[in-house]
Amino acid sequence: MERTPHIEISQLTFTYATAEKPALKNINLTIYEGEYVALLGLNGAGKTTLLLTLNGVIPHMVMGDMEGVVTIAGRDTDALPVRELAKVVGIVFDNPEFQLSQLTVAEEVAFGLENLGVPQAQMHDIIHEVLGVVGLTGLHERSPFALSGGQQQRLAIASALVMRPQIFVMDEPTSNVDPIGKEEIFQVARQLNQQHGMTVVISEHEVEVMAEYADRVIVLHEGEIVLNGHPREVFQQVKLLKEIGLRVPQVTEMAYMLDTQGLWHAGDAYPITVAEALHVFAKYRKEYRI
Amino acid sequence: MQGVAIPITMVAGNSWMHRINPLPKLLFALGILIFSFATRNPMLLGTVFAVGVFLALTSGIWAQYFKIVQIFFPISLTLITLQSIAPAFPLPWTAIATYGPFTIYQEGIYSGLSMLLRIYCMTTFALVVIMTSHPSDMFVSLQKIGMPYVLNFIFTMTLQLIPILQNEFSTVLSAQKSRGMKGSGFGALLPSMVPVFVGAIERVQQLSISLESRAFGSSGTKTSYRNVTFAFKDYLVGVVGVLITGGLTAWVLLDPSLDWSRTLQFAPEVALGIVLLSTVGFLAFFVVAIFYIVRA
Amino acid sequence: MTSTALIRCEHLHHVYARGNVTALNNINLEIQPREIIGIIGQNGSGKTSLVKHFNGLLKPSSGRVLLDGQDTAKRRVQELSADVGYVFQNPNHQLFAKTVEEELEFGPRNLGLSQADIVERREKAIEFFGLQEYRTHHPYRISFPLRKLVGMASVYTMQPRVFILDEPTTGQDNITTRTVYRLIQRLRDEGKTVICVSHDMILLAEVAERMIVMRNAQIIADATPRSVFADSAIMQSTRITPPQVTEFGVQYMQQVTRPLTESGLKPTVVLSVQEAIDTLFAQDQK
Repeated sequence: MERTPHIEISQLTFTYATAEKPALKNINLTIYEGEYVALLGLNGAGKTTLLLTLNGVIPHMVMGDMEGVVTIAGRDTDALPVRELAKVVGIVFDNPEFQLSQLTVAEEVAFGLENLGVPQAQMHDIIHEVLGVVGLTGLHERSPFALSGGQQQRLAIASALVMRPQIFVMDEPTSNVDPIGKEEIFQVARQLNQQHGMTVVISEHEVEVMAEYADRVIVLHEGEIVLNGHPREVFQQVKLLKEIGLRVPQVTEMAYMLDTQGLWHAGDAYPITVAEALHVFAKYRKEYRI
Repeated sequence: MQGVAIPITMVAGNSWMHRINPLPKLLFALGILIFSFATRNPMLLGTVFAVGVFLALTSGIWAQYFKIVQIFFPISLTLITLQSIAPAFPLPWTAIATYGPFTIYQEGIYSGLSMLLRIYCMTTFALVVIMTSHPSDMFVSLQKIGMPYVLNFIFTMTLQLIPILQNEFSTVLSAQKSRGMKGSGFGALLPSMVPVFVGAIERVQQLSISLESRAFGSSGTKTSYRNVTFAFKDYLVGVVGVLITGGLTAWVLLDPSLDWSRTLQFAPEVALGIVLLSTVGFLAFFVVAIFYIVRA
Repeated sequence: MTSTALIRCEHLHHVYARGNVTALNNINLEIQPREIIGIIGQNGSGKTSLVKHFNGLLKPSSGRVLLDGQDTAKRRVQELSADVGYVFQNPNHQLFAKTVEEELEFGPRNLGLSQADIVERREKAIEFFGLQEYRTHHPYRISFPLRKLVGMASVYTMQPRVFILDEPTTGQDNITTRTVYRLIQRLRDEGKTVICVSHDMILLAEVAERMIVMRNAQIIADATPRSVFADSAIMQSTRITPPQVTEFGVQYMQQVTRPLTESGLKPTVVLSVQEAIDTLFAQDQK
């Protein structure tokens, strides 16, 4: 099946104005329509920098030196202002509260619509729809600052959704949110990808969840892509990931450690989810009774 | 300072005041403002103030109004005290009594009283308007008469930020106390402002990216979510408000007999009483406030 | 009955004036010296309100909180800070000095220590937290995870007997999270009492000896991590999921239990990858 490239990054290098070393070095990457891509890496590896290039914030709003080309749904990010790219790419960040500014939930969501000049008559339905997608129905008149962290982040997502983006970018969306909130946000991300067909690019530290939902995992280290593939492929590289300082799902680590002790069936892939782990170990039990 | 919020915000309600469009209300308040500056006549100012209080009572905002007033008004009593000994008024001054280095003047008391009432008038009407109008409606109304969109946004953001920054400051103080910070004097408070400012800057930086990512700053017509309509009663209030305040202002400007600055005489005991009361009232409030701040 | 408990809560009740919210409902609790405790629960369950009573940031609406038998209600936060250190979740709330060094010196200075002592403690902290490169950096010019470490280090230099860590691994990556592990282990070796409020089940499973689960302003469970994670009713009611390896362990045990019940092996709850290997290895060994 022919896959359409949605995001194409070619030889991207970016150095912040106040930095000596580049934050991103010669990044080459293609993300296809409908993919759910997880971006992993230590703090400072360049994840946020990379995500900011996807909607034009870099280079338009951040001072620095950018080389290379970033193409989003066929559009060159260097040639279009952020507010134009905003119609293609929605983005949320790690601090839910910092993204909100209006007096009520409905107004927060309406903000984008107002900027786009959408007629008032249409607004109500769109807002209702979008709040439904993120699970905030009925909270129209609440103050955004009276919501829980998880709700605030979902509100931020809803506010970006009204722009009807094709691509949704999330920069560590659950890092400042409690467990229930995390679940809710991951659920919304999944929904956007599966039910609404959006291409989702999400940077996270929750590797267990990413192993479960992502179609692709990209690992950044010191500004460079070191791994890029299906989660199962990427998480097999336990040794490399540990050297970088990253974690793998616990069941994967368990298999890896058994392997280093000579107790793993060569040729078997390390499991990356609980279900896979149960399957593999059931196999072992029958064969080896380790 | 911990936990003292500045509750200048809309009070939910359905009084007749609430149901009037913010624009005529703003116009009315503006008219009162102009009137207040047009005269020093304490009786007129006092009457208008009383009307304002009546409005506050009948719009269901009394509790919140009083909360602000009880902090604000005692502070303003200093005006009388200070004015009585150093009137902001053209000479000549008529002395009433002398106590040591201080002399109390008739014009001073008059000036102090009228300044006080002027402030009370303006504040009361401003609060009545703010507390009975949804801020977004207010901004949309102002936009309709030509206020730039960006200002609307700045106001909204500021309204949100005040309680947030207060909270932040309070948290920072807690964190510093938890590290044994001595003294709650100003010297200790100042360094605590740094994290709050840094937080505010980080917030604004992040916010500007979020806004831009939602097409903020797009050229072309901007539509509005909030629907602010004008009904007959709104026009009525607007017109009546303008007429009344305009009329009052015209009256005080044209009728010299209303200028009581030279004719109103306070008996020495009354004058002294007023000054003492103001001073005591202000000092008592000051002491209580310091007590609360130190205890926090 | 006199108690040798380090911290003791008696019928602790706390209501927030704003909104009339009951944050803590009749909490009775004893914490002994040298305990390493994890406090878990959803946001709003009361966990932060509880620990804020330990260093006096909050005072009870009714009931008592005793530190070493003394009522904290009568003591100021500054006083209690010498005994009970509180590391705030957001380091930005603490940091205001011009350099990391200065930041680390702030606490001991407030305690009135000699310059020599202050420097000694500062150096010890720099060494432990790996902050050598950043000594003279402005705290706001280093990355957020490092700032969080500086926040912890600046309480570490005060060497209180009790350390309260408020969400130490939120917003952190794996490397800085491992520093938190080492910190808690070091604190344990130094004989400190550690109270860690956290959502990070993987962290708590490995370091906590005792878990307190809170919900709706009350303590609904107070037991070892093993017991708490094994109690599916508690886990479900508070909507918290145990570490992946624990879940795997439970499901795996369920799969193998039937053939193994004859051998009398009891299913156990595993708390870490290493434990899973040891247990499974041993379990499967005939």
